[in-house]
Amino acid sequence: MKDNFPVIVFIGQPNCGKSTLFNSIAGYKAQTSNFPGTTVTHAHSEVMWKGQVYSIVDLPGTYSLTPSEPQEKVALTHIFKEKPDLIVNVIDASLLGRSLELTLELLELEYPMIVVLNMMDLAEKKGMSIRVEELEKKLGVPVVKTIAIHGLGTKELLDSVEKALISRKAPIAPRYAKEVEKRIQKLIEALPEDFPIIANKRFTAIKAIEAETMAADRFILESHKPLKSMIDSLRQEISDWREAPAYEVISAERHHLALKIFEECCQVRHARVNWVEELDNLIMHPIFGYFFLLLIFAGMFYLIFKIGSPLETWLLKPFESLRLSLQSHHNLLAELLNGLIQGIGGGIAIVFPYFIPLLLLMGFLEDLGYLARAGFLLDTFMHRIGLHGKSVPMFILGLGCNVPAIMATRILESKRDRIVTALLIPFVPCAARTTIILALVAFLLGPWWALGFYFFNLLLIAFLALVLKKFFKYSSPGLILEIPSLKLPSLKNIWQKTYFNLKEFVRFAWPILIGGSVILSFLSYIKFDRVFNTFLSPLVSGLLGLPSNLGVTLIFGFLRKELSLLMMFQALGVGYQQLLSVITRTQLLTFVAFVSFFIPCLSTLAIIWKELGRRIAFLSVALNLSVAILVSWLIRLLFSIL
Amino acid sequence: MFGRRVHHLISEIPTGSICTLLEIPQGKIFRIVEIKGGPGLHRRLLSLGFHRGDRVTLDREAIMQGPVLVRNLTADTKVALGRGIAQKILVEPIGDNEG
Repeated sequence: MKDNFPVIVFIGQPNCGKSTLFNSIAGYKAQTSNFPGTTVTHAHSEVMWKGQVYSIVDLPGTYSLTPSEPQEKVALTHIFKEKPDLIVNVIDASLLGRSLELTLELLELEYPMIVVLNMMDLAEKKGMSIRVEELEKKLGVPVVKTIAIHGLGTKELLDSVEKALISRKAPIAPRYAKEVEKRIQKLIEALPEDFPIIANKRFTAIKAIEAETMAADRFILESHKPLKSMIDSLRQEISDWREAPAYEVISAERHHLALKIFEECCQVRHARVNWVEELDNLIMHPIFGYFFLLLIFAGMFYLIFKIGSPLETWLLKPFESLRLSLQSHHNLLAELLNGLIQGIGGGIAIVFPYFIPLLLLMGFLEDLGYLARAGFLLDTFMHRIGLHGKSVPMFILGLGCNVPAIMATRILESKRDRIVTALLIPFVPCAARTTIILALVAFLLGPWWALGFYFFNLLLIAFLALVLKKFFKYSSPGLILEIPSLKLPSLKNIWQKTYFNLKEFVRFAWPILIGGSVILSFLSYIKFDRVFNTFLSPLVSGLLGLPSNLGVTLIFGFLRKELSLLMMFQALGVGYQQLLSVITRTQLLTFVAFVSFFIPCLSTLAIIWKELGRRIAFLSVALNLSVAILVSWLIRLLFSIL
Repeated sequence: MFGRRVHHLISEIPTGSICTLLEIPQGKIFRIVEIKGGPGLHRRLLSLGFHRGDRVTLDREAIMQGPVLVRNLTADTKVALGRGIAQKILVEPIGDNEG
């Protein structure tokens, strides 16, 4: 896939607005390629600027080039494996001092580089005034100011990219204290001919010293035994100098150099405590914080329901009347048309009123910086069920769609946490299942029933987590989570994200939805669905006490959960409003519970398989199936007693 | 390393004594003297901008033995740390006028 366009790599620390910048630049795109399932790994876009096409890669955020988190390793293999033509180091200007540590590390690569001071507006609000020319001189690379969220500075950046690619000027790696430099030089000279060099000898030597106790270290030194004793003694010498491990000494050197540059290039006037700080204090408060958390999520679902429910009725109306006018005819064409109407109607009227608002609100909370705060507040509860606060955003993300939530588990450091989180996420009611719950339970039985169902779902997840804790021993290192500053989200950005998810969804789901609906009506016309129903009837009617006609809907539920809902009307031969005339309340709840849990939908299963392997995927299916059978059977039992 | 935590005596810590990040009063400025724990944890904290000599304050403690919110004044960042991790960061008080 590598063509002859210059490759530009965007790299920066998490939350520096790198992806926003990437998106605003990708606006000038010639073409985009999105590798399905790898958007968390990196996004890739071809951008056209002044007649030249650039291949831009957006890497996941990384704090340093000595990777300690999985997503950072992804970032690193990418720049180490294929040398980019240009590095664009994106910095949150309001965190200039700390961010420069990564910049200094990147300079060590001695690749052509540009530094982008993003979020300049935030820095100014904090009372910082940054002297760009001074910074350029100190770092030896061009520095560009941007406010990506408003699209400011992107043209200047692209011009600067153009210039940097013509001059191809490589920066000079920063120098450290004499005591450290001496040892680095010694190692550079001692590196054998066949030693795998990354970027340049100096970078390789520094990383070799820093790699102490890391897997890479053992691996390299296995094959270069004579070097081992030398590196060890160099480490010891550096370590003796500062009474700290060698990697800490080098990191501290960068830290001090970064702070020095920061002080020389930036003046900070005293910033007033603004209302954002006050707000932050309130939402992180040990008591009010939880109150707000509850309020925000309750409000969010109330809002979605308030918008979605009337909108749904309104949107369903024309489809319903069309369907009724067809009911009197009983030929193949009418049946197929009926299926088509149901499919399109389902796609538009059932999915959209809930899906779009949910995506918008989730995007808002994410960009606001609230998800990390929710992680802080909920960590203590998560601890009790054997996870920690870092998983919270994934569960919340799962409310939108399970697929990105499972991809996001990549940021969890321990494999154990990843597996447990990924096994639990399919129990989080995603937008599709929320649709079912809202459309069936809330609409037909009332909002309290839906709320109760949600609450039950929450308890179920906690209970399952406790069960999984028994099998996957819990030894989490504990929470380390940066809390980004609260930022007013840009609507454009949220809309862009929502639009992207929506497009994926429509492209994937609509053909299945409409096609499935038509196929099902055809099968029902030739009475073939009876075969499925007979096959599944011991489960469907025997165990769960549902009409055996619903058997066939489960097959479609595996494709997408909300298809089950749609197929339900098709299978029972009634419209939305008349549903309760053919099944009872208990049957409705049993069906919703079973459909919600019985299997991760096709795309979720595929992503679990891809991310965590076949064994975990099968485990997930087995877990879901047994939970679904047990839970829906218990619901049936409970309500038959009441 | 200082035995059991005694909540009420916290604000009485004399200048120059070393304690863990968990034991300091909220809002007062302290200086990191050492980060204990394995290299893995150590590296992660370093890369997040937690170094020896940095000035930090304890901003908040979550309820029920939950995580603590630490503000690093040197790096100008806020980080949520689990208690087990906060316990591995040793700090010493510095005078108010220095902050």
